[in-house]
Order: sequence, then C-alpha cells, then structure tokens
Amino acid sequence: MYDFAYHKPSSLADAVKLLAEDPDAKPISGGMTLLPALKHRLNMPTALIDLSGIAELRGIKREGDAIVIGAMVKHFEVATDPQIMAAIPALARMAATIGDTQVRNRGTIGGSLANNDPAADYPAAALALGATLITDRRQIPADDFFVGMFTTAMEPGELLIGVSFPIPEKAGYAKLRNPASRYSMTGVFVAKGPKGVGVGVNGAASCAFRQKEMEAALAANWSPEAVANIRQPANDLNSDIHGSAEYRANLVTVMAKRAVADAG
Amino acid sequence: MSETRQMRHGSSIGQPVTRRDGLLKVTGQARFAADNHPAGLLHAVLAVSRIARGRVAALDLPAARAHPGVVEVMVTANRLALALHPDDKSVPFSFKLDLLQDDRVRYAGQPIAVVIAATLEAATEAAALLAPRYEAGPVEVTLDAPGGYVPESVGVGDPGEMRHGDVEAGLRAAARRIEATYETPLQFHNAMEPHGVVAAWEGDALSLDMPTQGLALTRMRLAALLGIRAEDIHIRSPFIGGGFGSKLLSGPQVLGILAARLVGRPVKLVLTRAQMYGPVTHRSPTRQTLRLGAARDGALTAIHHHVRTATSRHDDFLEPSAGVSHTLYAAPAIATTNEAVRLDTGTPGFMRAPGEASGSIALESAIDEMAHACGMDPLEFRLRNYAEVEPVSGKPFSSKALRECYAEGAARFGWAGRPLAPRQMRDEDGLLVGWGVGTATFPAIMFQAEARAVLRRDGTGLVESGTHDMGQGAWTAFAQIGADSLGLDLDRLEFRAGHSDLPNAGIAGGSGHTATAGGAIHAAGAQAIARLTEIAVADPRSPLFGAGNVGVVARGGRLLRRDDESRGEAYADILARAGLDSVEGRGSAAADPAAAERYAMHAHGAVFAEVKVDPELGQIRATRLVGAFAAGRIINPRLVRSQYYGGMIWGLSFALHERAAMDPRTGRVMNADLAEYHVPVNADVPSVEAILVEEQDPHVNALGIKGVGEIGITGTAGAIANAIWHATGTRIRRFPVAIEELGR
Ligand SMILES: Cc1cc2nc3c(=O)[nH]c(=O)nc-3n(C[C@H](O)[C@H](O)[C@H](O)COP(=O)(O)OP(=O)(O)OC[C@H]3O[C@@H](n4cnc5c(N)ncnc54)[C@H](O)[C@@H]3O)c2cc1C
Repeated sequence: MYDFAYHKPSSLADAVKLLAEDPDAKPISGGMTLLPALKHRLNMPTALIDLSGIAELRGIKREGDAIVIGAMVKHFEVATDPQIMAAIPALARMAATIGDTQVRNRGTIGGSLANNDPAADYPAAALALGATLITDRRQIPADDFFVGMFTTAMEPGELLIGVSFPIPEKAGYAKLRNPASRYSMTGVFVAKGPKGVGVGVNGAASCAFRQKEMEAALAANWSPEAVANIRQPANDLNSDIHGSAEYRANLVTVMAKRAVADAG
Repeated sequence: MSETRQMRHGSSIGQPVTRRDGLLKVTGQARFAADNHPAGLLHAVLAVSRIARGRVAALDLPAARAHPGVVEVMVTANRLALALHPDDKSVPFSFKLDLLQDDRVRYAGQPIAVVIAATLEAATEAAALLAPRYEAGPVEVTLDAPGGYVPESVGVGDPGEMRHGDVEAGLRAAARRIEATYETPLQFHNAMEPHGVVAAWEGDALSLDMPTQGLALTRMRLAALLGIRAEDIHIRSPFIGGGFGSKLLSGPQVLGILAARLVGRPVKLVLTRAQMYGPVTHRSPTRQTLRLGAARDGALTAIHHHVRTATSRHDDFLEPSAGVSHTLYAAPAIATTNEAVRLDTGTPGFMRAPGEASGSIALESAIDEMAHACGMDPLEFRLRNYAEVEPVSGKPFSSKALRECYAEGAARFGWAGRPLAPRQMRDEDGLLVGWGVGTATFPAIMFQAEARAVLRRDGTGLVESGTHDMGQGAWTAFAQIGADSLGLDLDRLEFRAGHSDLPNAGIAGGSGHTATAGGAIHAAGAQAIARLTEIAVADPRSPLFGAGNVGVVARGGRLLRRDDESRGEAYADILARAGLDSVEGRGSAAADPAAAERYAMHAHGAVFAEVKVDPELGQIRATRLVGAFAAGRIINPRLVRSQYYGGMIWGLSFALHERAAMDPRTGRVMNADLAEYHVPVNADVPSVEAILVEEQDPHVNALGIKGVGEIGITGTAGAIANAIWHATGTRIRRFPVAIEELGR
C-alpha cells in the first residue's frame, strides 16, 4: 500500500467526473474489501474516490412494489431498516449475517454488489428477487449484472448508485458459513415473487447463479421437499481447502431446503 | 533430604493463587519483547524466499536501498562473519539456522535478506522492492514423496525401532485383529506473539529483548555464533507470548542481532504471521499404521505402531509418534517402527507434545476400533488393558492414578449408559450425538536448573532463577515454591526471573520446567534455611539454641522448634544478632538417574468428549470435554487447570481444525495466516472441564511434581475422533476431520 491521491466528492457528478479523468482511480465505499486488497498489493490505484460524502447514494425508499437501496447503505442499515424488515425480511436477515459487527457497520451494499465476490451474500438475493442495478448511466437486470468472479457488467468508471428489489410474496435464505472467515461456503436465497420463483446461489461457484431446476420445482410445489432431491452438478463448483465441489453441491440442496423452510 | 522435607508444606504450594503478572497483562503493562523501543531504534524486515528449493539469482538491491528511510540491506555479501557455522548443532536442542550464509534456498519462507529502515513501513516496502529472481529446483513437500529411510533415532535420541515380545506371534494368536492407517497434518506453531528481537550492541556487549524458552541455551549458542563471551549477552525475556517448543533461538532473531551490529544502532525485528510458517519449526505430517491383536476377552495380544514422517532435507527432527505405544496399554508384544522422508521444508521441531500428540490420536483411535471389534465399551476395554507396569520395560510406575482418572472423569461426564453401537443418540435439533474417550499420557521429564535464595534482614526473601513465563504462570508457581522453601508468606518474597543474568533455570519445555526449576528453587531455599538454622541453634541467646537435633520448622518468617512450636524466633532477629545482612542458599535440580532406572515416570489422564454432528452438513461441534488428570503434586490448581484447558483445546484443534496446506508445486504453505489456518475460538469450545486427580509421587523428584503443560492435548484429540465415530458410525482416519467426509 503506497502513495495514492484521495478525493472526497460531495456530488455524484463530481465522483463520475473524477473517475472519468483518471482511469486508474477507484471508488471506495466501505473499504472492507478494497483496503485489504491495497495492503496486499493486489490493487494499486492512483486515487481513491471516497463515496461517503455523496447524499444521492444513501437512503432506503419504497417505490411502488420495490425497495430501492442506495449504494452507500451499510449492511447494518439493511439489517435494521423497518421498511426492509417489513417488505423483504429475508434480505434484512441476510444482511444481519454478513461478516461481523465491524464489517456490517462499514461495508455497503453497493460495494458488495460492485465487487461481486463469489462468496458475497447479496448477489444471490439480487438474482432470486430479480433486482435491478442502477448505475450513473443505465439500469441493469441482476441476471445480466453478475458476469463472473469479481466481475460485473459495469464499465470502467461506471458507478453503482443503488439497487431496486421487487417485493416478493415470500423469501428465505440459508447458508453455511466458513467457520473462520464467516463468508458463505454456499448460500441459497429463495423467493416467490411477482416475476415468479427465484433461487440464487452464492459461495458455490466462481459467481453467484440461479438454480433453475429448483426454481421450476418450487414453482410447481413450494416446499422443502420439492428441492430435497435435486442434485446440483458438482462440475464447475469451487473446490478448496474448506470444501470440495461435491461437498458444495450437497450444500446447494441442503441450503435450498433450509431456505424454503425459512421462507415459510 | 529429610531436612528439606520438613520445610515443605508451607502456606503457598497448593493454593489457587491468581497470576502475579495478571494485572500487568490485562492492563497492557506487561512488556513483551517487541514492546521495547530503545532510543535510536531501527526496524528490520525479513525478505523471505518464495521458492522452496534452489538459489537466489538476483536481488534488486539498488531499488531497496534507494527507498526513502532505508538504512541498509543485509545480504550474504555484507553479513558479518560468524564464529560458528549456522549449521553447527553442538548446543543441546538446537537446529541448523539460516543466517544468509549463502544463496541457497532450502525451503519457502527462508530469510534471504534483511532490510533495515527508519520505519517498519519503509523496511516492508523496500523488502518488496528487492523483487528476488530465483533458480528454482523441483520440490517434494508431502509424505507422498518417493523414497524414505529408516531412521536410527526419532525425537531427541529415542530409538527408531523398539521391539518387545513377538508381535507377529501375538497377532497370529489374536481372535480379533485390526490394521488401520491414520494421517495427521502438517501443523505450525502460531503462538500469539511472533518471534522477534530488539537488539542493542554496546561495544561487544549485547542487550536483547527476546522471547526464549531457554535463556541459558540461547545465550550459549549466541555467544558461540557471535564469538563473544556469554556474560556479555544480556537477554530479557520476562514474558513470552506462547512458545510451545518453537522459542529456543530462531534464525530470524539472530539476523536481527546481526542487523543491529551492521548498522550500529538498536534494531527491532519481528516476524509477520506469514513468516512464522517456515523458519521457526513445525510439526511434520505423519502417516501411522497400527496393527492390534486382541484375545476374545479383549486383552491385547500385540501392538505394532509404525510411523512415516518427514524432516527437512538439511536437518533432522522426526516426530516420535510411536512413543505413546510404549507405555499406555499392556500387551505382551509391542513393536514401534519408523520411516522418514526428507522434504524441501523448514526443519520440524518440538511442537506441543511432540510425538505424544500425533501418536495419541492414532493409538487412541485404533484402541477404540479394537474395542468396537471386541464388542466392548471403549472405557471397559481400556481398563481391561490397563498397564500395571510400563509394558515395554516392565518397570513399575513411580505413581499412576490413571484408574482414578477414568473413574472420576467418567462419573463427571456421565459416561454410564453410553450405547455401544454408533449413531444411536440425537439431540432435540436432530443432530447426531456421540461420546468418546481417550487416554492421556506424558512423560515426567526433567532438565537441569539452578537457583539462588536469600533471606534478608528486613524479614523478606529473594529467589532468583532465570525461569521462563510463557503464559503458563511461571511467575506465580515458582514464587509459591520459593516462598514455601524459605518459610515466608508469598507477599514477603521477591522473585526474579526471565533474565539471562540469573541462575540457569534450564528450559521451559517438555513439561519439565516446574519440576526442574521448582526443584532448584526448593533446594536453594532449603539451603538458606539450613544456614540460618545453623546460626540460630549455635547461638546461646536464641530460643532455638541447641535445637539442632530435634530440628526446626521454617514458617511465616520464623524458625520454630519442631518439638515445641511455641519456641521460635523471627529470621530478622537471628540475622540482626549475628550481624548479618542476609544468608544465601544455592540449589540445583536434575533428573535422578537412579530413580529413572527403577521407575517409569509419566503423568496420566482420561478425557471424555461429546460431539454433535449435523447429519446433512457434517458440521462438528465438540460440545463437551471433561478431562481428569493425575500429574503428581499440584503447585497451583488454578494455573494447572488452565494448562489442562489449554492442552485440551489444542487437542480439539488437532482433531478438528489445524492443518497447513502445502502447494506441492511451489512448496509454499497456502494458508499461512490465521484466517485459513484454523485454530479454535471461544465459539468452538463451549464447555471444557478439568479435574485434578490426587496423586502423590515420592520418586519422581523432591517436590513430587510431574508436568502438566502438554498432557492435555493427548487423549483429547482421540476422544473427539472417537466421539465422531460414535455419533456418525463413520471412522475418519485423516485429521483434522473434514466435514466433507461426514456430510453425505
Ligand atoms: C472480515 C470480513 C468478513 C466479511 N464477510 C462477509 C460475508 O460474510 N458476506 C459478504 O457478503 N461479505 C462479507 N464481507 C465483505 C463486506 O461485506 C463488504 O461488503 C465488501 O467488502 C464490499 O463492500 P465495501 O463497501 O467495503 O466496498 P469497498 O471495499 O469500498 O469496495 C469494493 C470494490 O467495489 C468498488 N466499489 C465500491 N463502491 C462502488 C460503487 N458505488 N460503484 C462502483 N464500484 C464500487 C470498489 O472500487 C472496490 O473495487 C466481509 C468482509 C470482511 C473484511
């Protein structure tokens, strides 16, 4: 971690301008991922654009049949916001399980979605709920947003402003945490919503994905038993010192079952 | 002997005194080595090798030297000459050191340069700027490496092969036979405090703040390496943030000292967590095959314990895992054999019950498998094969209250009624529940130590011995022994320790520190009291005049006539009248070869474990641990209990958590940090209980002390493995148990 410039713009326009001017600059929101990356020299931006001074990125609103959450909203706020707790309680519960107290009070939903860590929680919810990602220049459906490991559809210099979650009829979440890092080994978010049934899986593969076989089964029969015998193929799943691909495949089934039970 | 005996049983030994250094520690006032900042201090950072075998072809020295704040970069070319080759191992318990002697790389993480700078940040950055280029050779870093050899010895001079009786005949005669292979992982120490040093030279004198488990040995080796007098080396090591066998002299510490010499300023060098996975010893992986035979009634007919383990390519230490089979269970035929392979790793060493820990988990698992094969309760099976004498030597035990440990532990745990078959118990959440037992054992070892004790005219006492407090409570336990040896209340005693200028207290290792240094302190105190007694009984003005024959008792700062305790005199009065400021005693202690010839000397214990396993996920929780241990005289039950807790938690760690994963291509540890190298946290250890079982040992040493530091890890790991089997019906033989092997 060495010399870099630091900017703290107070408007979205200024932030976008700073990013446009310096292709090696990076936005920083909670810094929970970016700062360790700098310390490990995985990332050496010329400038950090601190988004914490921008009012447009904050706030949680109900807009019609959706909950819209600003990019700078912290995990703790998602976990405790009365509107979210009423409309999408599973999302609030999910946020309450992210990392630890410190991480939840620094880390932001925008940072998490933009970062698209394979083991991050939110992407599974965004996929299952059919969320829309809002940037400074367009709106991107969740299905198109999460492209691959640590990769999204956003272009260089593009800034995530917020995310809009359609309010589901019911939704549930279950995950197995890595006992040390607390990151998801595999988590499954299930939702029965206006756009149909969604099943989003995190932690299992290089990028969060939808489990469409389970979606079909749940659309026909919303019950834990409906997914209990659906086996996720292990090829393409992660295999590491915490668990093999086969083990994660098993987790997809078990967590899906538990998520449906959680949704009720 | 009788003279010292009569002065024992004072008011301190046996009391659950809280740690004398506790307040300093919880308030952050305890100064660990790296907390020292002498004026003019510079910071040194190691650059370490990223390859495991080969040579360093180039370092970008100009780039590192040009970095702002950098004072010097120490490499082979400018490293000061040493008076002794770093490979020399004439000092006991030492290993070859990597001190930049050449461009060779013997393992990943080996120091290849030292950057010295005004700030830690500058030194860290410049170390990265060195951007080494290597010529790398092919590496072998796992037990699957081809080849191997049969070692003559394992551990520290234990025989590589031991045969007692005819194992093959015993196996042939057996009604039940099992053969199973168990694997234990590569483990790293991970003491909370990293290895480090703050070094300051004053001329040819060297002042060091440096954690060490062996002040005298460390000083001796440093003097030889540096070519200076031992008396000119002053090491302060008042607090050690965990040693576990890794904190004798380490290479990086010597490099810090050489760096200070090179720049002529005090230097601090502290390893990063990642740098602790290489040059400061580890526990090698083992692959252990146990062949057991038992008669129809469950009596063992044979035990064969074979171990394959590894050492480094350049040095020798072999985890002596089979040793536990020599002592634990009675069998007419016992054989232990070893094979070893050389790997491109740092050299393994003494790590938390070296041998006993890894051997115990295999033996205890195998014993459990055999109990099951015989259709017997595992505790009953262990009692059936209880060793009344040490099986391989036939010697009686100096004391052995293992039967009581089994009984008290089982009662406390609630073992009775345990279903014999596995997978019979569930809790209210549907989790599988299992119970397991393991036997704990550890030899009672002694080293050599000296101490000095002084009675002062103001009625206080002083005890000096360069003992080592690694968190186990040496500051407190030795003071208790010292106070009793001088017949003083604890608050009247000044105890000096943790400094190389004090009498040599040996090493804090092998669970033998309290027995050894405690024995020396006890003897020193006894001598001081004996001198004072001589003065008093010879002085017609003393109420003790002429009491020499009946003897005196020293208590509460007074000498009392043994036959009439109402007649006595305060130490201070005796000294004052004699016109003396003080009397002094010296004492030493070491293992008694005659006793060792007659008796087998071991501490024992029984550990009971309950685990819960999620049947869908394989997730394991060790929900309850109860250990009952008998280890001779207990100096301080509070400290001892916490040693047992710590040991049992390491045992849990062994069974369920710790494993270093090696990248077989690069020879690097892939999880060299505490996020990925798992050790237990509070949440992993919901309930641990330790029972102190009464045991009096008149033979082991003057104070009757065995060791308590390491025994807890033994027994526990096996008990957990056995409980997992009992919960699930699946026998896992590779440790730590991976959830994916259970979650099906
Ligand atoms: C100990 C620990 C445990 C954790 N556990 C979990 C867990 O269990 N589950 C989980 O989901 N997460 C976990 N996290 C991650 C954490 O939740 C953060 O959400 C995550 O690190 C990113 O959010 P941030 O606000 O900190 O983003 P930053 O670290 O500030 O940024 C992350 C990346 O996103 C970019 N970025 C940030 N904001 C924007 C924006 N508005 N537009 C475009 N790009 C942007 C940055 O440039 C950077 O590349 C953990 C983190 C830590 C340190």
